[in-house]
Amino acid sequence: MRTRINEYTARATQAIRSEPEVRESVTGATLAFDRKRRDAYTEVDADEWRRWAEAVKNHTLTHLDDYLTQAEERLEANGVQVHWAADAAEARDIVTTIADDGLVATAVKGKSMLTEEIDLNPALEAVGIEVLETDLGEYILQLLGEPPSHILGPAIHKSLQQVRDLFADRLGSAPDGDPDALAEAARHVLRDAFIHADMGITGGNFLVAETGTVALIENEGNIRLTTSLPRVHVALVGIEKLLPRMTDLAGFLQLTARAATGQPIGCFVSLIQGPATQPGDDGPEEVHVVLVDNGRTDVLAHPHAWEALRCLRCGACLNACPVYRQTGGHAYGYVYSGPIGSVLDPGLLGLHEAMPLPFASSLCGACFDACPVRIPIPELLLEWRREAQDQGLTPWKERAALAGLASVATRPGLYKLAGRIGARLGGTGAARALPMLGEWARERALPKPSRRTFRELWREGIE
Amino acid sequence: MSTARAGSRERILSRVARATAGRERTLHPGCLGTPVAADPVAEFVKRFTGQGGEVVEGEGTQSAAVWLTGFLRGLDKEVTGVAVGADVPAELRPQLPVVAAAHAGAGISVAWAAVAETGSLILPSTGTRAVQLLPPVHIVWVPEGRVFARLEEALRELPDELPATVGLHSAPSKSADIGQTVVTGVHGPGRCIAVLA
Amino acid sequence: MNVALFVTCLADHYFADSAADAVRLLRHLGCTVTFPDAQTCCGQPAYNAGRNPEAVRMARHTIEVFEGADAVIVPSGSCATMVKKFYPRLVGEATALADRTWELGEFIVHRLGVTALGDGLAGRRVAIHQGCHALRELRLESEPEVLLEGAGAEVVPWEADDECCGFGGLFSVKMSAVSAAMADRKLDTLPPVDWVVSGDGGCVLHLKGRSRARRLGIEFVHLATALWRGVAGDGGTTARKLAAPLAQPAAAPAARDR
Repeated sequence: MRTRINEYTARATQAIRSEPEVRESVTGATLAFDRKRRDAYTEVDADEWRRWAEAVKNHTLTHLDDYLTQAEERLEANGVQVHWAADAAEARDIVTTIADDGLVATAVKGKSMLTEEIDLNPALEAVGIEVLETDLGEYILQLLGEPPSHILGPAIHKSLQQVRDLFADRLGSAPDGDPDALAEAARHVLRDAFIHADMGITGGNFLVAETGTVALIENEGNIRLTTSLPRVHVALVGIEKLLPRMTDLAGFLQLTARAATGQPIGCFVSLIQGPATQPGDDGPEEVHVVLVDNGRTDVLAHPHAWEALRCLRCGACLNACPVYRQTGGHAYGYVYSGPIGSVLDPGLLGLHEAMPLPFASSLCGACFDACPVRIPIPELLLEWRREAQDQGLTPWKERAALAGLASVATRPGLYKLAGRIGARLGGTGAARALPMLGEWARERALPKPSRRTFRELWREGIE
Repeated sequence: MSTARAGSRERILSRVARATAGRERTLHPGCLGTPVAADPVAEFVKRFTGQGGEVVEGEGTQSAAVWLTGFLRGLDKEVTGVAVGADVPAELRPQLPVVAAAHAGAGISVAWAAVAETGSLILPSTGTRAVQLLPPVHIVWVPEGRVFARLEEALRELPDELPATVGLHSAPSKSADIGQTVVTGVHGPGRCIAVLA
Repeated sequence: MNVALFVTCLADHYFADSAADAVRLLRHLGCTVTFPDAQTCCGQPAYNAGRNPEAVRMARHTIEVFEGADAVIVPSGSCATMVKKFYPRLVGEATALADRTWELGEFIVHRLGVTALGDGLAGRRVAIHQGCHALRELRLESEPEVLLEGAGAEVVPWEADDECCGFGGLFSVKMSAVSAAMADRKLDTLPPVDWVVSGDGGCVLHLKGRSRARRLGIEFVHLATALWRGVAGDGGTTARKLAAPLAQPAAAPAARDR
């Protein structure tokens, strides 16, 4: 996927200044999600659950080669065709070949960030396959030709009125339809698509090694339909999605739902072992699992960032993030946005490609408190910042200013002198000329220094 | 059958092995101990209805078919044709015409079990997926004594020979993708009714 | 008890009177306060920017300056976090100082065991902005509220009270528009109060700068000054000194009447 990450600052600024409705929709939706998440955490011993989940994921990631081969073996025993894709191009190629071999004309899709990451839809369309997104939010965005703006609620940046206008224009629904009527209009189109599609494409929340089970969580039922009605099902699964045991799912299904939406569990969970062979089962004849690397082994090799591979894609950190809330996901310029994007993208894409995301954070720490697998996001952001500094990826003025600060701060005499000069210049407007403060002053009144420093007050005596 | 393009499988596995080579290999922490409800049936009812599901209790299998027929006829939108899962025994089938799932007013299934802590119905795919997913109303029989307190117990007790797919249904189909307002019955059933034997 | 004040560079230069109030408060609570003159900046700007070599130099300097102090009091949650949480990540010998360092409110509640300060804030309606480092690194969630209520103030709930104000040091410079939008979320949800009280000067400079640019007339008061007023009342030297750097042109009526 072509990224526009390097444009983050400009696009975020533009979004805030010219699209206030995006900020309003995103803020409202994420605060509501976050409140539900907090309540759902309070209901259980969230601290213990999160530590447990962290430990299971760490165990899995430090034994990943074993679990990958075990999963492959089980999947094949279940009759699933397993494919390995080193990068996005291979993954696309694998899926288009499966489609070609299966004489697929139409495909329905469940929401999957991985398929966004590898740009799957354009590749399928290029070989003449009609692809329809079936998650309601993704469907809205497909009609608009926009990428998702949130891992979980891809269209949270759209207001009811925007969806009304879109559906009235494209589906002929009533221009004043309520959400129920709008959903009904979409259901009408999509129900037909489910019944006629040749292929269903999904991601995978988890892949259980001991049973070869692909687990999928959702609320709408579109994933159950996508994996049940078409004769071919393809699940694209990142190699970090492994879990050792079926019973591990018990904790992870509950924790993911609580973190994501505050529910005890998703309305629908599919535990998929393979193609339908037993009597009474009307499921797919062919099931394929594509194991995708696409930069994940680079992240795994990183001494710190590997912890980001514990990510469940629940979106809790986005909902908790006051930076994300101001713009939504589009400003970040890549499918993984918000706090997790800011630590994952540098690992997946290379730090240069992901600048300035490690700096797009006030380091407030709300993301860590929300994260169900305790990814130390603030610490990882700092780690990427250090690497950016080492690689000279930050502006020279900034580096010079910080080097200057250190020189002054380790020489008390010089520090005091600089402080007194600052106090005299303060309020004169001279401070505006200091490097980088111009931008600060565009949005804020510059602070007025105290007339006398504390040091001076102390010397005179404090009563 | 696997496809391994230009040795991708080996390349990925060796990269994984290299990436984790020097790292401390940590242990699996074992099972997560979630609380056990004193009364799993009551907990199931609370959780399932809390998510928008509906529960009917105390309808034994004796006159089940008769009761179900009356229940379906009495719904707001009277059901005249039903879809029935392949594994639903004769005594649990309503006395109504059986039609294709896409045209049925209700789908009738039998759960393998229910789970209290998550309010979930466990549905094997041998019970015919279209029946579980396409009709606007889904009615699920839960056999007596088949309510597990915890999800982990239920997953542990799944048969060794797993069906192609196991579905957990814990609520009607929902979405909040349009203006952050919750709508039900988007793709799957808009009503999900668990009947506890 | 002997305590050393680590005033921090922001308080030294922008909240000098509040730092003086911290000294008065500590003395009132029975402490003997010293001020090691060679102290400078804790190094957090460099640390947050990823400039570890510079941060290490500043950390070493600070550790040397405060060697021998029984307790180091910092009138800033963020700088206290730098010393307590981040120094040990940077330099091995930092643990001793980290263990002896306290954020001002934390010290009063947990070391001195004091929660009742007086009734000088009776009738004041205040909202608290607790900086993110104090809140989520030091887990100081209730301390300012306990102390302000212990000084007679009415603490008004604030919808966005545990949300980041958007300062983040370098962040507010590099991503200025996002940072300002974050401040707006805080300011736009603020209930009617006499003061916004915060123990973090950086957050206050940013929120106040935004509030002034939007001419909102919100009055911001540093925790040290608010607590000292609780002890000393609103009259006398404290009030006069406050009037200069902190009062706003359109202060809330209750504050003006005093």
